[in-house]
Amino acid sequence: MIRLFLTVLFGACLILAPAPRATAQDADDLQALLQSQAELVADASRRTVQEVLDLLIASDLPEVPAFLARWQAREVYQRDSDGMFFYVAEEGASPLTLIDITSGEPAGTATSREVSQLRPNRGVQTVIATALVQFQLASDDPVDRLAALDAIGSAPEDSHLPILRDLVATETDADVLEVAEVLLPRLVIAFDADDADRVAAIESLAGNVNLAARAALNPLLVTATGVAETLPEGENIARVLEPGSTALPRDVAYAMLVEADLAPPLLPRDAQRDVLAANVVEGRVGGLPVGQLDTEAARDRAYAALFEAGLAEPAPSEAEIDASLASHVFFETYREPSVAVTDAARATLDGIEMRVGLWRVLDLSLDGLSLASIYFLAAIGLAITFGVMGVINMAHGEFIMIGAYTGYVVQTLVPDYTASIAIAIPLAFAVTFAGGVAMERLVIRWLYHRPLETLLATFGISIALQQIVRQIFGTQARPLTPPDWLAGSVAINDVVSISSIRVAIFLLGAVFFVTLWLILNRTRLGLEVRAVTQNPRMAASMGINPDRINMLTFGLGSGIAGIAGVAIGLFAQVVPDLGSNYIVQSFMTVVVGGVGNIFGTLIGAGMIGGLQKFIEWLNPSNTLAAQTYMILFVILFIQFRPRGIIALRGRAAGD
Amino acid sequence: MRKLLLASALSVVTAHAASAEIRVGILHSLTGTMAISETTLRDVMLMLIEQQNAAGGLLGEEIVPVVVDPASDWPLFAERARELLTVHEVDVIFGAWTSVSRKSVLPVIEELNGLMFYPVQYEGEESSRNVFYTGAAPNQQAIPAVDYYLEELGVEVFALLGTDYVYPRTTNRILEQYLLDAGIPQENIFVNYTPFGHSDWSSIVSDVVALGAGGQQVGVISTINGDANVGFYAELAAQGVAADDIPVVAFSVGEEELAGFDTTPLAGHLAAWNYFMSADTPENEAFITAWHEFIGDEARPTNDPMEAHYIGFNMWVQAVEAAGTTDVDAVRDAMYGIEVPNLTGGTAVMLPNHHLTKPVLIGEIRPDGQFDIISQTDPVPGDAWTDFLPESAVLDSDWPGLGCGMYNTETETCVQIESNY
Amino acid sequence: MSGSIFTRNRSVPIFIAALTLLALVVTILSEGYGTGALSVSFTKVLGMTLCLCLAALAMDLVWGYCGILSLGHFAFFGLGGYMIGMWLMTARTEAVVRANLGSAVIPPTEAEISTATALQIFSVVGAQDWPWMWAASGSLILSLLLVVLVPGALALVFGWLAFRSRVTGVYLSILTQAMTLALSLYLFQNDTGLRGNNGLSGLQNIPGLETVGQARISIWFFWASALALGLAYIAAAWMVSGKFGNIIRGIRDDEQRVRFLGYRVEGYKLFVFTLTGVLCGIAGALYYPQAGIINPDEIAPIASIYLAVWVAIGGRGRLYGAVIGAAVVSLLSTYFTGGRAPNIDFGFYEIDWVDWWPVLLGLGFVLVTLFAPKGLGGLVDYIVRKDRA
Repeated sequence: MIRLFLTVLFGACLILAPAPRATAQDADDLQALLQSQAELVADASRRTVQEVLDLLIASDLPEVPAFLARWQAREVYQRDSDGMFFYVAEEGASPLTLIDITSGEPAGTATSREVSQLRPNRGVQTVIATALVQFQLASDDPVDRLAALDAIGSAPEDSHLPILRDLVATETDADVLEVAEVLLPRLVIAFDADDADRVAAIESLAGNVNLAARAALNPLLVTATGVAETLPEGENIARVLEPGSTALPRDVAYAMLVEADLAPPLLPRDAQRDVLAANVVEGRVGGLPVGQLDTEAARDRAYAALFEAGLAEPAPSEAEIDASLASHVFFETYREPSVAVTDAARATLDGIEMRVGLWRVLDLSLDGLSLASIYFLAAIGLAITFGVMGVINMAHGEFIMIGAYTGYVVQTLVPDYTASIAIAIPLAFAVTFAGGVAMERLVIRWLYHRPLETLLATFGISIALQQIVRQIFGTQARPLTPPDWLAGSVAINDVVSISSIRVAIFLLGAVFFVTLWLILNRTRLGLEVRAVTQNPRMAASMGINPDRINMLTFGLGSGIAGIAGVAIGLFAQVVPDLGSNYIVQSFMTVVVGGVGNIFGTLIGAGMIGGLQKFIEWLNPSNTLAAQTYMILFVILFIQFRPRGIIALRGRAAGD
Repeated sequence: MRKLLLASALSVVTAHAASAEIRVGILHSLTGTMAISETTLRDVMLMLIEQQNAAGGLLGEEIVPVVVDPASDWPLFAERARELLTVHEVDVIFGAWTSVSRKSVLPVIEELNGLMFYPVQYEGEESSRNVFYTGAAPNQQAIPAVDYYLEELGVEVFALLGTDYVYPRTTNRILEQYLLDAGIPQENIFVNYTPFGHSDWSSIVSDVVALGAGGQQVGVISTINGDANVGFYAELAAQGVAADDIPVVAFSVGEEELAGFDTTPLAGHLAAWNYFMSADTPENEAFITAWHEFIGDEARPTNDPMEAHYIGFNMWVQAVEAAGTTDVDAVRDAMYGIEVPNLTGGTAVMLPNHHLTKPVLIGEIRPDGQFDIISQTDPVPGDAWTDFLPESAVLDSDWPGLGCGMYNTETETCVQIESNY
Repeated sequence: MSGSIFTRNRSVPIFIAALTLLALVVTILSEGYGTGALSVSFTKVLGMTLCLCLAALAMDLVWGYCGILSLGHFAFFGLGGYMIGMWLMTARTEAVVRANLGSAVIPPTEAEISTATALQIFSVVGAQDWPWMWAASGSLILSLLLVVLVPGALALVFGWLAFRSRVTGVYLSILTQAMTLALSLYLFQNDTGLRGNNGLSGLQNIPGLETVGQARISIWFFWASALALGLAYIAAAWMVSGKFGNIIRGIRDDEQRVRFLGYRVEGYKLFVFTLTGVLCGIAGALYYPQAGIINPDEIAPIASIYLAVWVAIGGRGRLYGAVIGAAVVSLLSTYFTGGRAPNIDFGFYEIDWVDWWPVLLGLGFVLVTLFAPKGLGGLVDYIVRKDRA
């Protein structure tokens, strides 16, 4: 197979190689040729590698295409002792078996310290890929042709346009053709000489929100700012700018004039000070003693005196600045000279941008929804222990953390990611359920009549648990890797996409919600839970065992936190203080939603998540501000609805 | 006055005679948020001290490590530093990771004339008489990485993503000016700050991808710290942002951090450091072997700050041997010009501005969590005050020559002897 | 009036005597004025502990007496520190800048000094202009006023909003927690203007006292902290011993009943909340010049929870309990994480106090809550009563 590929490349090389250059004819051996440029090969740089490539291609040597491919793939080694280049038989072997680059025969061995692997960087790799295009496009294998198109896409050149046109005309493979047809308009727009063709290509992109389409259009609309006495003729003027407008502030405009030598420079304060300092004569400047020059007014007077004496340049006055600004025209010109092309590009791009805007709204909503589902997942266990039972469990976050670590431990034992997640979820539930039950039996049940003290006791448990986990697993972050089918993202187009793991978290949140709602409202356990929380004594007299119900409810809430931990661990790092990052937010979610009601928690999470994304969108460069304002909003919101969005009425609402 | 000096000299001697051992303070957080990075440094210091003791100690005495836990609590760093110097009477401190912890310690060690080795890459704009900076200054990490972007990858649109604290803020400020000077227009520089431990990256990654709409090569320069990287790289992978499309070069992601996640989708993204575990030299091999033996875990990686402590500790040992005492002033004078081999080849030299010469390495992430070193420069001398910001371009640091760490070359005055904190 | 309080509440004379004794002993043993047996760092720890005791005292007033479990009082503590910190930084930096610019050929203008000072302070976080909240940082008097006014105003506004809409119990706790989280996130942003995560540092170097030395300054701050704690203790004891004390205790035990008796419950709660906020602010302003650095981490929600835990461990509703709790827990923490406690070697496992202290602390909270709900103060009561019997 490799031999076939090499033969094809060899043939392609013969057909397509450009006329050889004089220098290349001196060397008839690839090794000798490379040695003549050894430094450029070994320390290849994007800016210089083209020289070597031209030489190699011009040499017409049959092994060049294979060498380029292997060089690009970082499979070429250089022996330190004599600088000779080799391939190796098996990477990572010790010692390495060297292979001659021309004959393909073994050429001795070397340890890894005696040779250096050539590692062309991404930039060089791209250049080599472009050089390989001509060989690959002629290949019979569609995979090679796709690789070539890929290379064209990442670094298009004007020489590619005719090749691509030929390819589109002759290509038979549907996949390759599809890629080529998408690529062609971009090259036409960038390199075609005929404006009509370019306009047609531009218009063919109308409504296309893909990044590549916008990337083809935007460069056409690049402008440069200029200034002149009158508007220049024959340029493709984008617009005229008014000095003092937001597009061109007054000081910027004046700086442009100074830059173009059309006006005298301003005199900044420190420049004035330097001039004064240079003119100190016997402790006085412009008649004023140096000691008095500690105010701006005094310095202005001294400077004026220097100017009178002809020792300093005048600084332009405000009126002079205005006059210079008024007597010049400021404008933006397109780099692209053709008006038809820029007009078409502007119109098409405007249409695209509007669509992109709409899609962005959808994307943002999905982000908000996803954030909300994460908050919901973190808070739902709390909605039961705090919301339904009224227990303030500060160690709730640690149950999440323990769930995540359970997932990590399972993954170290079960190497298959899908299977390990399938085991981890019930196991995390079991572990944290047990932990919750133990905590309820040992600590919380003694404190039901002292809710604020539960807070302190559970806080103590929280810091102890964190430190114990730190002792067991160390402080290093542990990976919890999602299976492959959760690793990618669901993308509608280049604007709207959401990672699969977030979709999974959303679904998990939905499943939790439905399950819990059913348990609380449709099962005997749920009925008993509600009875016990509303009036434990009455419930007890009805034959319900409140101890057992409290224990089970608390276990349920903790167990759910454990499952949430697995999900959260899949997209965040598993560290001992994982849980404490979520605890305050979770409490707020429950309180905003309204205590005693998981539907409220759902709405609370939705509101907090959505709001945070919205504020982030208003101020995209500062995520922290979004969180701050979100919390402020929550504080204010509680003032107006102290019992949350969905408030319980009647006796259940008692403190 | 002379009597006083004599008395204090005597007291130094007696203090040492009484303790009869050399004490090395280790000031790294063992609990709290920074424990994840700093406990490793405590371990590497304990290893280095053990090695030195096995080799006969120092000046014929045993080195005793004094480990304290500042618990990722910045005021505690100051308190613990004072304790180390006055109660434990240590001869030198190796410690701190975050800039704020260093700034917290600075006034204390300057007041008490202590000596500290700070092993982490940082934002520069500082030179204390009492600190030796064995990590990279911006010109030894950030600037070469940006040059690599400009020269080799042809990046024209830059996304500077960072955690909202002093190192990214200052580094990005320097880089922004550097890029503007290099002719990159302001609108092609996108800056974003996120809080520590940020996990919700989807919209920021979308924003970065959208920068590609201009048809120019986009590159990300990441000063994102710690935990937040997991979510960030996971989101990059999920949105299919490969290194070929949008390369990411990180200044705070090393082998230790990569051990925390699945690196397969990250292959090809970059990091700039002065050390990579994959460096193939005999010194590095010996260091890694010793580390694995000491820690008892073959899977534990080594990283750049560990090398910094390795260099710093060996330099200090040499300086003490040269000075014949652990007295801070004598050791400091002996430090200048001391050379220690780097683990990646070449030698590190201590400069008069308390920074090192360091080679700059750029590595591509491999699927196995290690780095392919794709570029290694000759050692670059560290610059305390960056040349790319107008107000600090005029500043110079030269302790043995000028006796000043913040010397204004324009007015030819020493701005301050103590450092900026 | 104060005479009566000394007789009415037996803890007051004992407490004041103990505090005076402590101050005397510390002074005698200090490096600055005495034998030097106490290191400067330990003097600072003691002074800082007294400030924490003051904050705990405020916490006891608001929680132990008035029943408001605030999980945000450390926000006021931090704000007090920030207010004094701004002055400390500005004054110190300005002195450096003046000294440096003073040697220039042309004497500097005020504007130039101000610009250079701002650059010096803010270049660390990549900025160079004065943010608006530093407007008062040039004046010590104004800054001292702000130490009282800013935490007071925040407590007043927050309290007014919360009590007006009758947010009580657990809800109020969570809301106060949200308040301190929002404040710390706000301060974390560099754009806020208080140097973000770096905060204000070098606060131990008091402008104008550069030549005095930390040995003396640490004692001065210790005295100031002791004085503040003593005064606050007397004032608090006086407040809770009269009718006012009965009313707020009534609010704690049954808010509705007090309201039906015709008292304006909201007014009382707001007064106690604001007053304790101011007390915390003062404590913070004394604490951070001793700690040397303040940053947003200080007012993270966990700090305020610790404050509540100290009070709970010390025993609520008995003033001295809060002081004992804060002192014991924070001093023990310092001891065990300072590397001075010897490790215990079991042969098969070595217990390292640095690692195991948080576990013990956490379990300690649980045990105290479960088995000693009256805290360490309860123990004192028990002993005192035994004596009487």
